[in-house]
Amino acid sequence: MAQPPVSNQSQEQRVAEFVKAHEALRAEVGKIIVGHADVVGQVLVGLFAGGHVLLEGVPGLGKTLLIKTLAESLELSFSRIQFTPDLMPGDIIGTNIIVEDAQARKHFQFQRGPIFGHILLADEVNRATPKTQSALLEGMQEGAVTVSGSAHPLPSPFFVLATQNPIEMEGTYPLPEAQLDRFLFKVRVRYPALEELNEIIDRTTHVRDVEVRRVLTGPQVLSMRELVREIPIASHVRDLASFIVLGTHPQWERAPEATRRFIRYGASPRGAQALVLGAKVRAIAEGRFNVSVEDLRAMALPALRHRLILNFEGEAEGVDVDELVGQIVESAESMSGSGKEVFLR
Amino acid sequence: MPGPPVLDRLVGDVARQIRLRRAEFYGLRGLFWGAVAAVVPLVLKESLGFWSYAGAAILLIAGAGAGALRGFLLKLPQAEAARLADRGYALQDRISTALEWAERPDRTPIVDALVTDAVARADQLGARRIIPRRVPREAKFVPLPLLLGLVLAAAPPIPLPQGRLPNFSVSRDEDEEKVKDRSGDLKQAERRQATRRDAVQRADVQERDLAPRLGGGGQSQPGDLAAIFKDTSLGGRAPDFSSFLKKGDERLRMLEQLDRLPDLQSDFTQSQTRMVFQKAKALRGGLDPNKKVSPEKLRELLNEMERLGRKGGGAGQGNWSGDVYEGMEALEGGQSDRAMEAMERALSKMRSREERGRDGKSLKGGRESDRRGNRRGQGQGGPGDEGDFPEGEGLLPGRGKSGSPKGDPTARLRGSPFDVGVEGESRPGRKQGIDTNMLGRGAQMPSRMQYMGVLGQYRKMMEESIAREQVPRDFQTQVKEYFQSLDEK
Repeated sequence: MAQPPVSNQSQEQRVAEFVKAHEALRAEVGKIIVGHADVVGQVLVGLFAGGHVLLEGVPGLGKTLLIKTLAESLELSFSRIQFTPDLMPGDIIGTNIIVEDAQARKHFQFQRGPIFGHILLADEVNRATPKTQSALLEGMQEGAVTVSGSAHPLPSPFFVLATQNPIEMEGTYPLPEAQLDRFLFKVRVRYPALEELNEIIDRTTHVRDVEVRRVLTGPQVLSMRELVREIPIASHVRDLASFIVLGTHPQWERAPEATRRFIRYGASPRGAQALVLGAKVRAIAEGRFNVSVEDLRAMALPALRHRLILNFEGEAEGVDVDELVGQIVESAESMSGSGKEVFLR
Repeated sequence: MPGPPVLDRLVGDVARQIRLRRAEFYGLRGLFWGAVAAVVPLVLKESLGFWSYAGAAILLIAGAGAGALRGFLLKLPQAEAARLADRGYALQDRISTALEWAERPDRTPIVDALVTDAVARADQLGARRIIPRRVPREAKFVPLPLLLGLVLAAAPPIPLPQGRLPNFSVSRDEDEEKVKDRSGDLKQAERRQATRRDAVQRADVQERDLAPRLGGGGQSQPGDLAAIFKDTSLGGRAPDFSSFLKKGDERLRMLEQLDRLPDLQSDFTQSQTRMVFQKAKALRGGLDPNKKVSPEKLRELLNEMERLGRKGGGAGQGNWSGDVYEGMEALEGGQSDRAMEAMERALSKMRSREERGRDGKSLKGGRESDRRGNRRGQGQGGPGDEGDFPEGEGLLPGRGKSGSPKGDPTARLRGSPFDVGVEGESRPGRKQGIDTNMLGRGAQMPSRMQYMGVLGQYRKMMEESIAREQVPRDFQTQVKEYFQSLDEK
């Protein structure tokens, strides 16, 4: 080693604090939310990676409650927008209104919409028209909104959590691909198991006073986001991430057979970023200083499932995107030399 | 990529393990191929003598040794070894990441923490084998060539084949003799029959001598152009393209004389049936009344008739398969007379079928006329259902039931309430032409052109069309038979 360790202690402390804060946050959410450990984990990964998360699940599974609880655990402002077909972009972003000052002069003043919050819950986002949905686009990507030619920065950290219902498709507007790509993760919320359901019944049908503590502030979240980006990744792990993302493209000459058969469009480079950032958060949340192959494997599903567009055959055969991603990851591992017989080469 | 000594030591240890496993793997593979190669000198034991044993042993050892050496010397980058160390010790890529990032200029402060962490974990690891042993597929089959080698070593030397080919000439002569013996009697009888050709025969039922096609040297009739293709010196001559370009081939010039051409199509379609006739005739004609029929020849003939019956596919009265089976059964039972009778019956059925085939009326019928017959039998349909030209009525003047020589208009035309055809009076004077679909008063006018007068003209056109290959091959026979049927009317 050319350079001696400079501030090992401080780095280790930072990582330890990260782990502690992460655990504390999980514990606070766990006070309200029963089960869904993987969902909570992936939402927190999204928070610390600096991305936005789309939660998909049938009604009544606690998606909105999870987000509200998370917002309560953080010392951050929280806004909730219930998306409806008659919702207008101005209802989200805000609008210019005419105000009168002390001298009775009238002028336009920008009235901020609910998007100006740290944590934004876009409930049933697929019920609004595409025009309204696209009002979120700039804010999600740029961290600012432009109204009447003037840009208004959003508070930092800015974290959008959207929910959508996959079964009631009548009268909905499925999110366009460009907007889906803006979400770092798409998390599927599934039905609770038997024990979890029993716990939900016990918790919600008895008199119970639960108080959620605020365990993290905005600046702490931002600091943790910076730490995440410092985590090193080995070249063979990074190669695996690239193989996974390229493996979703049917045009790629080494794409697996399932990709060629069922996928029309694969993941964008944003998908690779999401994969690696998510893997870094997972690594540091486990107290590790490096990204491993297992991290990529764990993050592949939430990072890629909403970025794959199936072709007609895939739609017709009802191909499960999660299974498809699993096959792509396996294929990528064998391509990147992670197979069992690697030592024989 | 120098790293912390602990990590280097750990990776070095793993690299040694990998080399050992590779040497084992490729050594086993080399052993298999060496054992396979060792079989060769043992096979050549007769000529190599003692050296065959020495060669086999050398090949065996060399195969295993070369494989092991190759495995040991295979390229092994440190990063690869580090990855395997991570996997073997479940270190979640700590070692490989630490070694890679330790020297990178863009390393972040957290890399130092990573290296420290990796070193601490490596220190805690005890020395153990983490690289699993892999056995090649060939290893399962190593005992086979080894066992074969041992057997060959213990067995007496294998005599090697001599360096010349076996002489097949004797056996070929024998084969020819056998063939001659089998078919000689029947062919001789056929040839005798061929020489006694009936001089006066109708042109359309003329039986051609097919014996030359079977390889015999039958004689040709004078004036028969088919002979040119059979047994003249011209037929056996090799094609000379230069002379062909200058003056043309005589055979091709013959082909231009269309009306003298032999009926090759007829020969092809009827040759087998005719052959059976010939054979049957020869069998009966050559027999001395006191001499018994050879059962082998009779069986051969019956077999051939049975095959023809299957090929013809006919069922019902025209099928002679039943008679043939009866004859074969009789032959099995040693009753030659009964078999002969059955053969005669089958032969007469064949003949009658052949005659029907030449009959013009059957041409018009076939399946179509059968269907009509069935409908008539079931009492369905009226006269109009029989189409434009029911059998025995219509075209020929004076033969139809109708007062009109052309027959009544079809039901289809009569059924239409709107008469859209030609109407009016025919012009005065001599009338020519035939117009079968004329309606109104014109329909009452008989044809003035003699039917038989134009038939020859159309026949010539037909023959020319067939000669120019304007009629598809599959329909040529049908067209010819149609004209033949017109003749018979």
